[in-house]
Amino acid sequence: MRSRLRRAALIAATAAVSFAPLLLAASRTDTLSVSATIAARAKLTLSSGSMAFADADPDTTPVVSPGGGALTIMAKGRTTVGSTVTLVVLASGDLQSGLDAIPIEQLSWAATGTGFVAGTLSHTAAQTVGTWANSGAWTGTQSYQLANSWTYSTGTYTTTLTYTLTAP
Amino acid sequence: MAAGLLALPAAAAAQTITFSITQSSISFSDADPDTTPSITAPTVTVNYQVTGNKNGNWLITVISGNDLLSGSTAIPITNVTWTATPAPPFQPGTMSKTIQQTVAAGAGNVSTTRTGTVVFSLANSWSYNVGTYSATFTFTMTAP
Repeated sequence: MRSRLRRAALIAATAAVSFAPLLLAASRTDTLSVSATIAARAKLTLSSGSMAFADADPDTTPVVSPGGGALTIMAKGRTTVGSTVTLVVLASGDLQSGLDAIPIEQLSWAATGTGFVAGTLSHTAAQTVGTWANSGAWTGTQSYQLANSWTYSTGTYTTTLTYTLTAP
Repeated sequence: MAAGLLALPAAAAAQTITFSITQSSISFSDADPDTTPSITAPTVTVNYQVTGNKNGNWLITVISGNDLLSGSTAIPITNVTWTATPAPPFQPGTMSKTIQQTVAAGAGNVSTTRTGTVVFSLANSWSYNVGTYSATFTFTMTAP
C-alpha cells in the first residue's frame, strides 16, 4: 500500500512538473553600422596680438621683458596616430626702426607647458616653439626677453612674428 | 510514471515579436571640438511590436561589438550616448561594448507596431587621432 502511494505521489509530482508551462523568451535583433570621421585640423590661439619692450638702462636692466608679461599659447591639433604636431615661429625681419636695426637674435624666450621649448628668434629659419606626438590640446607660455645694449640707436623698432601650427 | 512522460507539453504559446531598425547605418561627421563638443548622428527609428505577452515584460537593448576603431586606433565606445523618445518607454543611455544597455522597457502587449527614435551623440575631443572609425551596434528586443 505504502509502495502504491509512493508511486502515485511520484507520478503526480512528475505530472505536475511536466505540465508547468515551458516559457521561451522571444527575441529579435537588428544591427546598425556606425562610423565616425575624424579629419586633420589645427587651431592656434595667442593671448595677445602684440607686445612691447619699454626703454631701460642696459646697466640696471640687461634683459628687458615685455610689458604684457608672458604670452599664453593654446595649441590644438588632430593628426594621424604616430605623427607630430608642431608649432614654430618666424620673424619677418630684424627689429627695424627706419634704417636702424636690432638683430632679431637678441630676442629669446623661456617656455612653460608640456611640449613647449625655449628658443631664440630668427628671420631666416622658423624656430620650434613646441612639438607633440599624436592629437591633443596643449597650453603653455612664452616669456620673451630682449637683450639690452648701449649700442642700440634710439628709435621705435618693430617686427612681426608669425606662428605656424602644423598637424600633418 | 508514463502519465507524466506523456504529459510533456509543447512550448507555451510564445510571444511574437516584430522588431526592426529602419536605418542600416549612421555616421558622425567631422567637427571642431571647440564649436561642436558633441556630434549628433542622424535619427535612428526603432519599430517594435509584441503579442502573446499579456503578463510579461519586454525590453529593447543595445550593445556595441567594440570601441569605434580605425585600424589599431580607438575611440572609447562609452563616448557615445543617446537620447530617445517617447519616454517612457524609451530612455537615454551610454553605449557599452560589454553590457547590454536598455533603450526601452515596457510590460504587456504592444498590439500595433510602434516606433521610437534614438539619437546617438559622440563626445567630440581634440585627442582623437585622424581616421575613419567604425563599430556595429546590435539592438535586441526580448520578451518576457
